[in-house]
Amino acid sequence: MAAEASRAADEAPEPGSAGAPDFDTSVAHIARVYNYWLGGKDNFAADRAAAEQAMAAYPDIALSARANRAFLRRAVYFLAGEAGIRQFLDIGTGIPSANNTHEVAQAVAPESRIVYVDKDPVVLAHARALLTSSPQGATDYIDADLRATGAILAEAARTLDFSRPVAIMLMAILQHIGDEDDPYAVVRDLIAAVPPGSYLALSHPAADIEPEKLADLASRLNQMMAQRTTVRTRAEVALFFDGLDLAEPGIVNVPQWRPASTEEASSPAALWCGVARKP
Amino acid sequence: MSVVKPDGAAAAGLGQSELGDARAPESAAGPTVLRMLLGTQLRGLREAANITPDRAGYEIRASRSKISRLEHGRVSFKERDVADLLTLYGVTDAQQRARMLQLAQQANDQGWWAKYGDVLPDWFETYLGLEQAASLIRSYELQFIPGLFQTRDYARAVTVLGHRAASAAEVDRRVAMRLERQRLLSAPEPRVWAVIDESALRRPLGGREAMRAQLRHLIEVAELPQVTLQIMSFERGGHSAAGGSFSILRFAEPDLPDIVYIEQLTGALYLDGSEDVDHYQEVMNSLSIEADTPEESGKLLRRIIRTI
Repeated sequence: MAAEASRAADEAPEPGSAGAPDFDTSVAHIARVYNYWLGGKDNFAADRAAAEQAMAAYPDIALSARANRAFLRRAVYFLAGEAGIRQFLDIGTGIPSANNTHEVAQAVAPESRIVYVDKDPVVLAHARALLTSSPQGATDYIDADLRATGAILAEAARTLDFSRPVAIMLMAILQHIGDEDDPYAVVRDLIAAVPPGSYLALSHPAADIEPEKLADLASRLNQMMAQRTTVRTRAEVALFFDGLDLAEPGIVNVPQWRPASTEEASSPAALWCGVARKP
Repeated sequence: MSVVKPDGAAAAGLGQSELGDARAPESAAGPTVLRMLLGTQLRGLREAANITPDRAGYEIRASRSKISRLEHGRVSFKERDVADLLTLYGVTDAQQRARMLQLAQQANDQGWWAKYGDVLPDWFETYLGLEQAASLIRSYELQFIPGLFQTRDYARAVTVLGHRAASAAEVDRRVAMRLERQRLLSAPEPRVWAVIDESALRRPLGGREAMRAQLRHLIEVAELPQVTLQIMSFERGGHSAAGGSFSILRFAEPDLPDIVYIEQLTGALYLDGSEDVDHYQEVMNSLSIEADTPEESGKLLRRIIRTI
């Protein structure tokens, strides 16, 4: 990562100059690979090849990605409804799909304010164009790496009031933070910035559900993509919620988190997830 | 191109599938997309039955290229041809046959533009059908304000430029058709995401007053919830679309590929092969990344109005 950061500093285009930083369709990119698994059309040949490679290792990855997306919807529905949250910090936005965070939240409470964070320029262009707010609420977009928590929090303060509860959403993104970058510190920094009554909602690919297939999946993705993937066990995922009060049913595979139907509950998937309140 | 098929698992929950909208294609889509749906299904059945386009063409007393056009939804279907093809492909299930024949019938219904037949070339009629059926239209415009966003005066100036010999009555018809087409923007779909080169905003078609009115209209349109406008300002140096204006149409139906539309002086190109679509998608994404953000674009528009 250090190498990547210094390259970015050396070659950063001047403001207003042409150039599309980091948009290279010849290499698979996780946002577009994920889009392919979801059945989307915003992907390129290299993305489709990587997605198919991953499907060869773990054939249920597409259903797993869909189940994760369904968890996102149910989690936001719970947060905006039962938990009464009106502010969302969604880090790792991804290419827009159906039931994006602001759509679900603003369907419950139109005044909801959502900040989307991603570091991929294609995702950001799509988010600015397509993830637009209801007139009563607000959406904003931040170009930042998850590890840059200070910058994220500073920019999010344009739109979010950090003296009031905020839901921090980390949907299937922490697997791209390796242990050497201390993902637990990243989450702790974010939680420390929000007041009691705030929530953390996250999902994370599992190392201990179908372990051989998931290990194969991660190693194939790591060969084909710049973004590294680290799968983690239930116990490792539980550590992200340290000091928080988990909402029922605790940490479960994504289809089991308050499924809306038996069909939804029975989807194959391999991601641990949870929603927890800061006391 | 292969697409992950939606499988029941993701479609439950709050009653919406995870991708695309929940509308029934039969009720909302125009005839063009119904033809494409029917064509896609017929191609699938033909390939599953291992029958060549030549053989299928022979069955309906036509050529292999006619089969290709049918399967791409480019031409309308005779119900008798569909029935014969279904028989050839071994489709005997009465319900499936009835469903596809009904689709063929609906696909032959006329669009709102039928009454403009006198001023509407075939190649543009296809576009109107696709535009109406799309869930997302992305476009890059180098020279003109996009047709969907034009005021009457601006549309008239553009029409006169393109049809110098046209009578006043014909110009009126063409302008009327363009304005009727803009009714598309009164529905929540399609989403329209346009990147417009700054030069299109600076060239005062119809005169300075008309152009100011046009730019004010553009600001209003950009505020519609389903419209996104980005300007490729002069500040941005050489940018990605070396080739010129084009549009990409996206359909909610998972089986339908994106279609690239490139207008020429006397016709249009429609591309739907995955290599072509990938290339244009890449250019469109680069343009969207390089152009001013929607927020910056609104400010720039207001500045430009003051200078015209």
